[in-house]
Amino acid sequence: MRKSVLLVLTFIMLASIALAGCSSGSKDTKSSEGTKDTGTTDTQVTPEKKEDPVTLLWYTIGGPQKDQDKVLTEVNKYLQEKINVKLDMKVIDWGDYSQKMQVIAASGEPFDIAFTSSWAFNYVEGARKGYFLELDELLNQSGQGIKEVLNPAFLEGSKVNGHNYAIPTNKELPAQAVWRFNKNLVDKYKLDITQATMLESLAPMLKAVKAGEPDVYPIPSNIGMYLPFDFALEGIPVGVPMNTTDFKMVNIWESVEAKQVFKTMREYYQAGYLPPDVATKQGNDFEKTGKWLVDKQHTVPFADIQWTESMKYPIVSTPIHEPLVFNWSVTGSMQAISAKTKYPKQAMEFLNLLNTDKYLRNLINNGIEGVHYKRLTADTYEPIPDSGYSMPSFTLGNMFLLDKLKADPADKWEQYKKFNDSAKNAPLLGFQFDPTNVMTEIANVKNAVDEFGPSFNTGSVDPEKMLPKAIEKLKAQGIEKIIAEAQKQLDAWRASK
Amino acid sequence: MKGLLRWLKLVGRNKALLLMVLPGFVWFLLFCYLPMPGALIAFKDYQFSRDGFLASMIESKWVGFKNFEYLFKTEDAYLIVRNTLLYNAAFIILGTLFAVLVAIVISEIANKKLAKIYQTGMFLPHFLSWVIVSYFVFSFLSVDKGVLNQFLTWIGADPEFWYTETKFWPYILIIVNLWKGVGYGSVIYLAAIVGIDKSYFEAAMIDGASKWQQIRNITIPMITPIIVIMFILAVGGIFRADFGLFYQVPRDTGALYSVTNVIDTFVYRGLKVTGNIGMSTAAGLYQSVVGFILVLVTNFIVRKINKEQALF
Amino acid sequence: MEHRTVIDSHPSLNNPRAPRKKLRNIHHLSPFWNAMAHIGIGLFSLACVYPFLFVVVLSFTDEQSLAKNGYKIIPEQWSVEAYTYLFRTGNQLLRSYGVTLFITVVGTLLTLVIVSLYAYAISRSYFHFRGFFSFVAFFTMLFGGGLVPSYIVVTQVLHLKDTMWALILPMCVSAFSILIMRTFFKTMVPDAIIESGKIDGAGEFRVFLYLVLPISLPGLATIGLFAALGYWNDWFNALLYIDDARLLPLQSLLMKVETNIQFILQNAGVGGAADRTDMVRTLPAETTRMAMVVLATVPIIFAYPFFQRYFVQGLTIGAVKE
Repeated sequence: MRKSVLLVLTFIMLASIALAGCSSGSKDTKSSEGTKDTGTTDTQVTPEKKEDPVTLLWYTIGGPQKDQDKVLTEVNKYLQEKINVKLDMKVIDWGDYSQKMQVIAASGEPFDIAFTSSWAFNYVEGARKGYFLELDELLNQSGQGIKEVLNPAFLEGSKVNGHNYAIPTNKELPAQAVWRFNKNLVDKYKLDITQATMLESLAPMLKAVKAGEPDVYPIPSNIGMYLPFDFALEGIPVGVPMNTTDFKMVNIWESVEAKQVFKTMREYYQAGYLPPDVATKQGNDFEKTGKWLVDKQHTVPFADIQWTESMKYPIVSTPIHEPLVFNWSVTGSMQAISAKTKYPKQAMEFLNLLNTDKYLRNLINNGIEGVHYKRLTADTYEPIPDSGYSMPSFTLGNMFLLDKLKADPADKWEQYKKFNDSAKNAPLLGFQFDPTNVMTEIANVKNAVDEFGPSFNTGSVDPEKMLPKAIEKLKAQGIEKIIAEAQKQLDAWRASK
Repeated sequence: MKGLLRWLKLVGRNKALLLMVLPGFVWFLLFCYLPMPGALIAFKDYQFSRDGFLASMIESKWVGFKNFEYLFKTEDAYLIVRNTLLYNAAFIILGTLFAVLVAIVISEIANKKLAKIYQTGMFLPHFLSWVIVSYFVFSFLSVDKGVLNQFLTWIGADPEFWYTETKFWPYILIIVNLWKGVGYGSVIYLAAIVGIDKSYFEAAMIDGASKWQQIRNITIPMITPIIVIMFILAVGGIFRADFGLFYQVPRDTGALYSVTNVIDTFVYRGLKVTGNIGMSTAAGLYQSVVGFILVLVTNFIVRKINKEQALF
Repeated sequence: MEHRTVIDSHPSLNNPRAPRKKLRNIHHLSPFWNAMAHIGIGLFSLACVYPFLFVVVLSFTDEQSLAKNGYKIIPEQWSVEAYTYLFRTGNQLLRSYGVTLFITVVGTLLTLVIVSLYAYAISRSYFHFRGFFSFVAFFTMLFGGGLVPSYIVVTQVLHLKDTMWALILPMCVSAFSILIMRTFFKTMVPDAIIESGKIDGAGEFRVFLYLVLPISLPGLATIGLFAALGYWNDWFNALLYIDDARLLPLQSLLMKVETNIQFILQNAGVGGAADRTDMVRTLPAETTRMAMVVLATVPIIFAYPFFQRYFVQGLTIGAVKE
C-alpha cells in the first residue's frame, strides 16, 4: 500500500517533467516564431502585398450559422484584396462562450481576436489576467479609423489600469432604465404612465389593474430593482451613490434608498401585485401571454417599437433615470486581441476595417445579398427567413454602419448618436475595481447576496425583519473589507486623475 | 542491482498480465497523471504569461493556502460541509438499499416481460437533465399552479409555499435523487445477481430452502463484494455534491440555502463574479483530499473485517 | 408456502437445455409477495416514466397553448410544429445522430477492451503488481489536474481538438468501471477455472478470451451499458473540444439550447433592448426543446433491451457450463 502511494507520487513527478518538456518545447518554437513575426511586422511595410495572407482566428459569441462557410468565403475574398488577411471565424453559443474562452485563454491556446464584455468572458478580468494585448500603441498605428468613429467615452471608459485592451463596439453608450408597460392594459385602465417616475408612483396603476384583472400579476417577475448607486463590482452591493460628491463607498443594502425600495416591494407583494412565488419564477412566459402590466428594462432609441414587434402587442415605456454611462455599459460588447497573437498588426487592421467599412460590416452581419437577405433601398434590407445566416448585430462591430430594417426609422443611427451624446457619466466610469486582495470575501459575500437579494427585490420577505439579518450576514462575510479595499483603490484612482 | 534483477524477473513472470494493463495504464498516464501537476494552481495566484500555460504556472506567485481560505473563513463553511456530507451519506445508504432491493425484486419477478418493462421504465429519469427535472419538480410544487397545492386545496388544506419552507427540502432532494438514480444503480446489482452460479440455488432448493432463505443466504452474500466496493467508491465522492440537484431543482432559491447550499453550489456562486481558477482548483483539491482520507479509512475498516473485499 | 405455476418462467428454464421442470415452482415468490413486488416496482417505474411521457406530450403541444395554460398532460391544442421545425431547420440533427452513434459504438467497444483487460489482470491474486495498478486506477477517481491542464493535454499534447477522438478518448477508461469489473472477475470467476485452462496449456490471453469472457457477460454488459450511456449522454467534452458543428453530438445540441436559455435569462438585465431581442431571437421554443429531449432519448431506450438480453444470455451460458 505505502509502496503504491510512493510509486504513484513518482509517476506524478515524472508526469510533471514530461509536461514541462512538452510544453517548454512548444514554448520555444512559439516564442521564436513570435519574435520572428513581430520582427517582420515591423519591417514589412512595403513588401507586404507579396506575402501569403495571414489567417486570423476570431472567436465570437452567438448562435452558430449554417451558411457561415459560404459567407466567410465572400468575406475572405474582400479582406484579402483590402488588407491581405483571411478570417477564420468561430461562433460559440451564448451559454458556452464564457467557459470555453476562459479555458482556451488560460491554457494558452492560440487565437487572434475574441469577443469580450462585461457579461460574457469578462473583459476586465481577462485584461488583468494578461490574456489580452495592450492596444494603446496599436490603436494609434492601425486603428485610426476606430478612433474616429467611436464616441471617445467608449475608449476612455474601458481602460483597465490606464490602458485599452479591447475595441468597444459602437452602439448605445449609456444605459437607461425604463418602466416598460403593456399598452393594452394601460389603455384599458386609462393609466397615465408619464406619472411613473419612481417605484412608489406605480402604486395607483398597479392597484387599478389588480382590481380589474384579478388573475393578472401586474409585476410579473423579479424585475431587478433600480437603485441609484454605481456598483464597484457587478453583483456585490458595494458602490457610491449616483449623485456622490465625496466618493465614499457604502454598503448599498444599508442605504435609505435600498430600504425604501425593499419596503415598497414588500407592500406590493402583500397587495398581490406580484406572483406569490416570484422569487423562484424563471423565464419570461408573461411576455407571451400578455398577463402583465409593468417591468423594468434598459432602453435604447426606438426600443418600444422593437418590443412591440417581438411581442406582437403594443409596448410603451417611461424612463426611470436619465441616460448614464456605466463601466458595464461601455464594456457591453468588445473585441480583444490575444496577448499571444502572432499578427497584432493585421488583427488591428481587420478590426479597423470592420468598424469603418460598410460593405464588410453588413456582409458579416447579414450575409450575402439575394441569399440571406433582399436589398430594399440603399440602406435598408429584409432578411430572408431561415436562410442560414443572421448574426446578432451588437456583438461584432460598429452598429452604425448597419443597414436598417424596413420598419426602422430613417434616422435610427442619428438618434443613437444623439442618445449617446445626451448621456451623463456615472461616478465610477473608468474606475475598474481590482478584486485580487479580497477574493475570499467576494466569494463569501456573493453567496449571501444570492441568498437574500431576490427575496428583497421581489418583496417576498419582510425587510423590517430580514434586512438587519442580511446586513449582519454580509458583515460576517467580510463586506467591510471589500468596502475598505474599494475605497482605497478609488481614492488612488481619483488622485491619479 | 540485485533488487533490479529480481524486479526484472518478476516483470518477466508477469509479462502477460502486464501487457494486459498496458493500454489502460498508458491512458491513465496521459489523461490523468500528466495533467495532475496542474493542481498546483491551487497554491498559486494564476497570472497568464505569453509563453503558455507552463510558463504561467511557474511565473505565477505562490500564495500558500490563500485560495482555500474562502472555503473555511465563511460562516457558511460549517453549513455547506454539513449539507454535503449528510445528503451524500443519505444518498449512499438509501441509494444502495433501494438499488439492491429493486435488483432483488426484479430478479424474483416471475413475469420476465413485465420485469423488463419495469426496468426500462426506471431507467428513464437518468436521461433527463437536471434542468428538465427542475421543470417537473416545479410543476408539482409551484404555489399557484402546482399539482400538490391543487391537491391540498381540494382536500381542504392550506396551500404550502414549497419554495420558501426549508423543512420540506431534505425530503424533496432525497426523493428526487433516489427517483433519478435507483433504476440506474440497480443495474449493477442485477448483473451481479444474474451472474450468480445457479448450482447454489439448485442445491438450496433440494435442501428445501425457502425463497427468503435463498435471498438471505445466497443472493446477498454473493453480491456483498460488489456492494462493498460500490460503497467504498461512493465514499470517495462524499464531499462532491451533484451540482444540478442542488442548484437547478431548488431553482437557486435564496430562502432555501440553509438546506440546499453544498460545497459545489457555494463555489459556483462565489466564483461567478471573479472566475478565479486557482480558487476553483483549490475547492476540487479540498474535496479530493477529504474523499481520499475517507476512502483510506473505510478501506482499512473493510480490510480488518474481510481482506478479500478491500479495495487494495 | 404455496407456489403457483405460471407459463412464462425463469430465463434459465426457458432454455431447452436446462430441463429442470420440477424446480419451477420454488423459483417463484408466493402469489401474495409476487403481487406486492409487481405493485411496488410497477408504481415506482410508473413514477419514473410519467415525467418522460409528459415531455413527449409537451413536445406535441401547441406553443401558444403551452404558454397560456402551462404544463398540461392533455393539452388544449396538439401540434407537430416542434418536430417539423427540427427537421426543417436542417440536417444538423441527423448528422448529430451519426456522431453520437459513432462515438457510442466505437467508444463502448474500446472501453470494454481496455477496461476488461486491466480489470482482469488486477483481479488475479498471482499478479505481482496488482496492488500498484489498482491504486493507479483508484487514485484517478479522486485526484485530477483540473480542467485547464486536461484541456492542454488533449489539445496541445495529443492534438485532438475538433476530432471525434476528443469525444472518445478522454472518457474511454473509467477507474470506476475497472474496479467494479475487478470485483466481478474476482467473485464470479473462480481461480479453479483459470487453473484448469492453464493446465491445458493455454496462455493468459487464451484463458481470458475463451474461459473468462464468456462467463463474464453480465459484468461486461453492465460496464458496456455504463460506457454507452456515458458516451450517449456526454456533452461536456463536446463543449470543450468541438468548434465544428459537423462534429457535435446530440446531447451537446440539447445542452447548448438549455445553457443558452439559462444564460440569457440570467443576463436579462444586461445590455439594451436591441441586444436582448437579438439573443432571444436565436432561442428555440419550449416545445422544440422538449422534442429534442425526446429525439435524444428514444434511441437509447430502444437500445436498452439489447443489453438486457445479454444479461439473460450470460445467465444461460452460466447455467450450461456446469
